Amino acid sequence: MNRPTDPRSVVMNLPRRDAQDKLTGRTRYTSDLAGVEVLHAAIVRSTVASARILRMDFSPAIAMKGVRAIAQASDAPGLFGIGIADHPLLNGTRIRFKGEPLAAIAADTLDIARAAAAAVIIETEPLPAVMTMADALAPGAPQVHPEWKSYELLREGGIRGGNIAWEARVTRGDTDAAFARPDVTIVEDCFQVGRQNQLPFEPRCAVASYEDGRYHIHTSTQVPWTVRAVTAKTLGVSASRVRVTVPAVGGGFGLKFDCTIEPIAAILAQKTGRTVSLVHSREEENLTCLCRENAEVRIRSAVTAEGDIVGREATVLMDCGAYGGEQVFLTTMTAHTLGGNYKLGSVRMNSRAVYTNTPPNGAFRACNGVYNTFFLERHTDNIAKAIGMHPMEFRRRAVLGDGDIGATGQVFQGEVLRPMLERMAALRDKTPDCREQADGRLYGRATTVGTWFIFVGPSSATVNLNADGSATLVTSGVEIGSGTMVQSLPQIVAATLGLSPDEVIVKAADTDAAGRDLGVGGGRATVSIGAASKMAAERVRDQILDIAAEMLQAQPEDLVLTQGRVEIAGRPGTGMPITTAIARAEALHGPVSGNGNFTAPGVQAMPGCAAGHFIDAIDIPVFAVHDCEVAVDPDTGHVDVLSYKVVQDVGLALNPRAIHSQIQGGVVQGLGYALHEKITIGLDGGLEQPGFEHYLVPLACDVVPVKIDLYEGAPSIGPLGTKGAGEVPILNVGATVACAVSRAIERDVWELPLTPPQVLSVLQGRTGRMDHSHLSAVWQENLLEFVAPHRSLDHS
Amino acid sequence: MPIELNINGDTITLEIDPRTPLLDVLRDRQRLTGAKAVCREGFCGACTVHVDGQPVPSCLRPVGMLQGCRIVTVEGLAPSGTLNRVQQAFIDHDVVQCGMCFPGMVMTLTEFLDREPSPSRDQIKTALVGNICRCTGYERIIDAVLSMQTEAAK
Ligand code: FES
Ligand code: FES
Repeated sequence: MNRPTDPRSVVMNLPRRDAQDKLTGRTRYTSDLAGVEVLHAAIVRSTVASARILRMDFSPAIAMKGVRAIAQASDAPGLFGIGIADHPLLNGTRIRFKGEPLAAIAADTLDIARAAAAAVIIETEPLPAVMTMADALAPGAPQVHPEWKSYELLREGGIRGGNIAWEARVTRGDTDAAFARPDVTIVEDCFQVGRQNQLPFEPRCAVASYEDGRYHIHTSTQVPWTVRAVTAKTLGVSASRVRVTVPAVGGGFGLKFDCTIEPIAAILAQKTGRTVSLVHSREEENLTCLCRENAEVRIRSAVTAEGDIVGREATVLMDCGAYGGEQVFLTTMTAHTLGGNYKLGSVRMNSRAVYTNTPPNGAFRACNGVYNTFFLERHTDNIAKAIGMHPMEFRRRAVLGDGDIGATGQVFQGEVLRPMLERMAALRDKTPDCREQADGRLYGRATTVGTWFIFVGPSSATVNLNADGSATLVTSGVEIGSGTMVQSLPQIVAATLGLSPDEVIVKAADTDAAGRDLGVGGGRATVSIGAASKMAAERVRDQILDIAAEMLQAQPEDLVLTQGRVEIAGRPGTGMPITTAIARAEALHGPVSGNGNFTAPGVQAMPGCAAGHFIDAIDIPVFAVHDCEVAVDPDTGHVDVLSYKVVQDVGLALNPRAIHSQIQGGVVQGLGYALHEKITIGLDGGLEQPGFEHYLVPLACDVVPVKIDLYEGAPSIGPLGTKGAGEVPILNVGATVACAVSRAIERDVWELPLTPPQVLSVLQGRTGRMDHSHLSAVWQENLLEFVAPHRSLDHS
Repeated sequence: MPIELNINGDTITLEIDPRTPLLDVLRDRQRLTGAKAVCREGFCGACTVHVDGQPVPSCLRPVGMLQGCRIVTVEGLAPSGTLNRVQQAFIDHDVVQCGMCFPGMVMTLTEFLDREPSPSRDQIKTALVGNICRCTGYERIIDAVLSMQTEAAK
């Protein structure tokens, strides 16, 4: 039965139900769970970046009073990864980065565990190392994974070889012909960015126990089902023996989209029969952070005088660190981000995840979209300049519109970016500019566009309608701070069942209770879990309406659920309380419940143009238009952000106030990325920012209130037309600030973050034009020969 | 020498290493986990508690220095089940996200507003220099604090 839920009943500024406990210190996050009654664990880490392990002697640790168990490589024989299984949980043979976990120790107190970890004797033989992508790609470079060919492939179609963990390519149209046209201007640029630490306030942590022959892990994660699967894979046990439950999560931003330390806690719990807590210290957390990767690009475009981009080619290098991880997947995204925003007559792009002997990288809010948008928008400004067109005019003409095709040939639906640019122009007109606040400093302003997507994929949900008229929603969703579990999901279920949202109980993730889910991240929770929850609630609604129709001698389609009652539509007061219908349903058939599920619909791409891609097209594109004004102090290089504006494509805004909060927060993280969150890698291959003193995140005095216009109505397959709104706000902040600074100082900006010394160096002409010598100007020379995929029989 | 402290109205006696940070006593011994251990270096403010009425980072206060001091943590700020006006303003404006920084924010701003009942936007931002938030981007926290004056003026 198809009864559309009225969007008006679902849109509201519902406050968060978890706020009171969070504000009074009563919420127990995973890192708050363990008191003196449990064992505490510490990790033994490598102190060098590349070495063969000759001997590990645990006897000094075992001799210490209070030491209870040791986990080592032999306890976790299975390798894990994304696309390629290349990553051991605990390394016992070949160290590949400084800080790599080699073993772990559980003891009565954390002090004892740490002392014991420090006492382990590790004898190693140094091996050559590659610390940069340029080094890793040099002819004859030492291989980070000499055994790369033997790894199990978890995904077909990957192009790999040596220090190239994965290569994803797209080729559409005749790029050579485009570049050879006599009527085009060719613009070529190189750019680069450093790493960014997600720095959620709660570090990665897990509390594990071993119950009735099964591992039970409480963890601060975005992906309970990934933790379940990776724990099983590394320990070599059946996944059904792993249970993952997730309390409130103290921030994630993508860092917790991977399983990391959870299986270590599980091993120690099994060995001791006790509950074991493993919590990263701030230093461990920062030095082994799965950062947004450092990246480099060479991009070339052939553009006509009218502003048609007839050809574009690019190669992006993404540093995956010592293990492939998320970057293997993220190579896919270059086609949709660097290849996004604009109509392209022809295109070829190559995106390579490169192994180095540095800490592995991971996922961070809008992942590779953030830097590819910086590359693309700075390049776009350079194109506009080269053909003598105003950058705004260029964008207005060139952006993707209804029916235009993307890099991989997918057809975009609806006219979205162009009207969003108009809305931004209107927003700018409404507010006076801040030029005067520059007060003698160099003033610059820029508007940029960005393309991102919703990472859909599988979700499931169950709704139980209780005899008291409340509903219980059971999913594998977790509340990481974005509000999905406490706002959008109860709003969707309540509107479907005619309840108020506080009558919808939302169960936090427990893999023993709810079905499989891809996790919370990529803007997918409201869309995927929301769609599954809506379907489950609709199935419940249909049962109740059928029962009530019999009782009221009416047709089910004439009935509505509203305010806790079943009513005949248009005749309030004629029906009955929903509890009466539930009681009848229970008497006839038993308790009422419904299940829902969802997965990626799989939008069509052009066959044959993408290779090595995990997805060929983006199911739900999301667009963003940002505008920023800056003042640059010519004496110090300090950049002051004077104003910031966002027009964001949200589909339907379920909770506008909560979306505004996500945008303010996401933009500020982007300002940190653009201006001062800098990670450096030492000669020893280690990250050099262990804490807040050196890794500078924005403070209250660094930020401005973001002016926001939510653009609704763009097509979306999300429930009620929603799109996830929490991930994308960070997307074009780096791009917008860089373009504004570049215009202010009238010089090219090639690199982020724009710290004062960096800006000063550009301003004073000490930083020349960027040119990556390890990225050939001949696109084909940056390709690996295609290597026939090696397939293993085991596809666990 | 045993150390005597008053925590949220209860007097306790500790026989521990006087160098132990107050934060560890609160979290590990008293199981008051409202104060968070985020940086342990005095930068983030997530561990802020009141010591004799002053907001301080508890990670940087060895208990040996606190003989006889009166400690109030976020759990003891308002009678159980009630909220103080800062907490109420944060609920009314829906500013909480992951929530890890908020116990510290509440402790800092409660004392600040007692001292400075009608601060400007810039004064509030300056007062938050030792309280970092990774999620919210601050401005809505500041809007909520400013709204308290408007409410009070009504
Ligand atoms: S934990 Fe004390 S200031 Fe950060
Ligand atoms: S709400 Fe997450 S750190 Fe402030």
